[in-house]
Amino acid sequence: MAAQATPATQAPRAPLADRVRPLAETFGTLAVAVGLVVAFGLTAGSFLDENNIRNILIQISVVGVAAIGETVVMLVGGLDLSVGSNVLLGAVVIADLAQRQAWPVAAAVALGLLACTGLGLLNGLLTAVVGIEPILATLGTLLLGAGLAKLVLHSSWIQVDVGFFDSLARDEVVWRLPILVVVMLGLYAVAALALRKTPFGRSVYALGGNWRAARLSGLPVVRTKVLAFALAGLCAGIAGMLQVGQLGIVSQGDAAGLEFEAIIAALVGGLSVTRGGVGRVERTLLGALIVGMITNYQTIRGVDPKYQDAVLGGILLLAILADRLFRGRQE
Amino acid sequence: MTARLAARRYLDMWFLGAMTAVLVLVFRTVTPSWLNGTVIQSIVAQNAPLALVAMAMTFAVVSRHIDLSPGSMLALVGVVVGLVYRDSGSLALALAAGFAAGIGGGLLNGVLVAGLGLNAIMVTLAAFIWARGLAVGLSGANPIVVHGGLDTLLNRRVAGFTITAPVVVAVYALGWYLLARTKLGRYTYAMGGGLTGARRAGIPVGRYTTAIFVLMGLMIALSATIVAGQLASAQPYAGGGLELDAIIAVIIGGTRLAGGEGGLGRTALGVTFVAILNSGLLNLGLTDAYYQLYRGLALLGVLSIQIWLRRVAVEEERRRADREQLAAPVAA
Repeated sequence: MAAQATPATQAPRAPLADRVRPLAETFGTLAVAVGLVVAFGLTAGSFLDENNIRNILIQISVVGVAAIGETVVMLVGGLDLSVGSNVLLGAVVIADLAQRQAWPVAAAVALGLLACTGLGLLNGLLTAVVGIEPILATLGTLLLGAGLAKLVLHSSWIQVDVGFFDSLARDEVVWRLPILVVVMLGLYAVAALALRKTPFGRSVYALGGNWRAARLSGLPVVRTKVLAFALAGLCAGIAGMLQVGQLGIVSQGDAAGLEFEAIIAALVGGLSVTRGGVGRVERTLLGALIVGMITNYQTIRGVDPKYQDAVLGGILLLAILADRLFRGRQE
Repeated sequence: MTARLAARRYLDMWFLGAMTAVLVLVFRTVTPSWLNGTVIQSIVAQNAPLALVAMAMTFAVVSRHIDLSPGSMLALVGVVVGLVYRDSGSLALALAAGFAAGIGGGLLNGVLVAGLGLNAIMVTLAAFIWARGLAVGLSGANPIVVHGGLDTLLNRRVAGFTITAPVVVAVYALGWYLLARTKLGRYTYAMGGGLTGARRAGIPVGRYTTAIFVLMGLMIALSATIVAGQLASAQPYAGGGLELDAIIAVIIGGTRLAGGEGGLGRTALGVTFVAILNSGLLNLGLTDAYYQLYRGLALLGVLSIQIWLRRVAVEEERRRADREQLAAPVAA
C-alpha cells in the first residue's frame, strides 16, 4: 500500500516470488536442512543427541566423498554413473593389496586411487574426446569397473584387519569425530575453495554454463572436462578407502547403487542434470546430510526397513516440487 | 529406397547390424548348439520387457526426455497384480489393477514433467526409488504367486514360439505406425527438435508429453503381465537395470539423446544387439566379473566406432550442402 501512495518516488516493487527466488537459490537447501532438523528433533527425542548426529555424519561420509566428484562432473554438464562401481574397485584393489598381498598401506592406497583415477580418466576421454554421451560412456565404464573389481576380488569377500583402516573409523580427532568424517569435511573445504579460487574451478563453471562461449574464450574445454571426470574417479577411490575403514570387509555388493545416492545428494543440493555451471559443492554436502537425516530419522522412528525407500523416494519428489516452487520453471 | 538405405547416414546402422552378425557367429563358434529354435524363443521371451520398454523409451528420447523408472515400475505393477490376485482370486481384476497402476504411474510422471515443468530425469529418478520401495514394501520383499491361467497362456508354445513373440512384433508395428504416421509421432519429433518452437507452432506440448509417459506406463504394464505369467509369480526385485538396458538399446540404435532424431527401426536393431549380447554372454557360463567386463567393452567399442561413423555422415552431408550452395548462383 505504501508503494501506491508514493508512486513517483518509488520504483514498482517486484512480485514477492521474484524477490524470494535469489534467496532461495542461496539458502533454499539450508532452509530445508534446518527445517528437517527442527521437525525431526521435535518428533524424535533422540534425533538431536550428540551421538546420533555423529552417527549421521559417519554414515554419509562414503557417499559424501563420492558426491564431491559427482558434483564437479555435473557442474561441467556431465553425469557419472560409474561412481558406485568405481568405489567398489577402489575398495577391492586397496583391500587386496594391503591384506592379501601384504603391501605397505601407503602403496596399496596409492595404487587403489590410481586405478580409480584411471577409470575416471577413461570416462573423461570417452566423453570429451571420443564424444559418447556421458550417461552411456559411464554406463559402459560402470560395467568395466564392476567387472574388474569382481575379477580382483575373486572370492566373495576380503576381511581387512590392517591397523590403518581400523583407525579411519575408530580414532577420533575433534568433537569425537572419527578420521573418515574429518577427511570428508576437509575434502569439501578443499573442493569449495578450489572451485572458487583456481583457474580450473572457474573453467568448470564457465564450461558448464556455456560450452561454446567457454571454447571461444580460449578456455581448455576438453582438458577441463577430462580433468573433472578424473577427479570424480579420484574421489571415488578415496570413498572406497573410507569404505574399507568403515566396514572392515569388502564384498561384491558393496557400493551398488551408490552413484544414484551421490546424484541424489547433488540434486537435493540444487544441482541440475541438464544444465551445468549452476550450484555449489558445499550444498551437495547439505544434500547428502538431508538424505542421511531422512534415513536416520526413519530408523529412529522404527519405519519398516522395507518401506524406507518408498518414503525416501516420496520425500525426494517433494524436495523437487519445493525446488520448482522456489525457483520457477527451468527450461 | 535402396539408395536411401545406402546413404552415409545409415552407416552406423549397417555397422550395428554387422556387429550383431559377428556376435552371432562368435557365439555359435564357441557353442555350436547356440541359436537353435529353442534358444531364439528363450531370447525373445527373456527380452520381451526390454523390447517393449525400449519402444516407449524411443518416444521419450526422441522428445528429449528420458525415463529412469521402468525397472522399478515393472516390479511395482507386478506386485499390484500379485496382491490383487491373491486377495480376490480374479485374474481379470488383477490385470485391470496392474494396467491401472502402470498407466497411473506413467500419468503421474507425465503430469509432473509436462504440467509442472519438472526435469524428467529428476522425476523419474525419484520414481525409480519410490516405486521399488513400494514394490518391496507391499510384497514384504517376497514373491507372490500368480496363477489363474496367465502362466499357461504365456508359456504355451505354438510352432515353437510362445505368445510373447507376436506381442512384441505387434507392439513394434503399432509403435512404428504411431511414430511415423500419426500426430503423436510428428509432435514427438517436433518437441525433441525444440520445445519453444513446438509450442509456438501451436502443439499442445503438455498433453503430448504426458501421452508419451502414459505410453511408457502401458508398455510397463504389458511387460509386467508377461513377466508375471512367465514366472507364475510377481517378484519385487524384477526389472533391475531394465531402464539402463532400454536406454542403451535406444541410443546404440542411433536415436540421439539430444532429441528430434531417430526411429523405431533403429531401436529394434539396438534391442536385437543388446539381447544377443546379453544372452550370448550368459550362455558362455562366464563368471559375473567377465560377463560385466565383456559387456562394458562391447558397448564402449561399438559406441565409439558409431560416433566416428556418424561424424563421417554429418561431414558428408555438410559437404553436399556446400556443393549445392555453390551450384545455386550459377544456375540462377
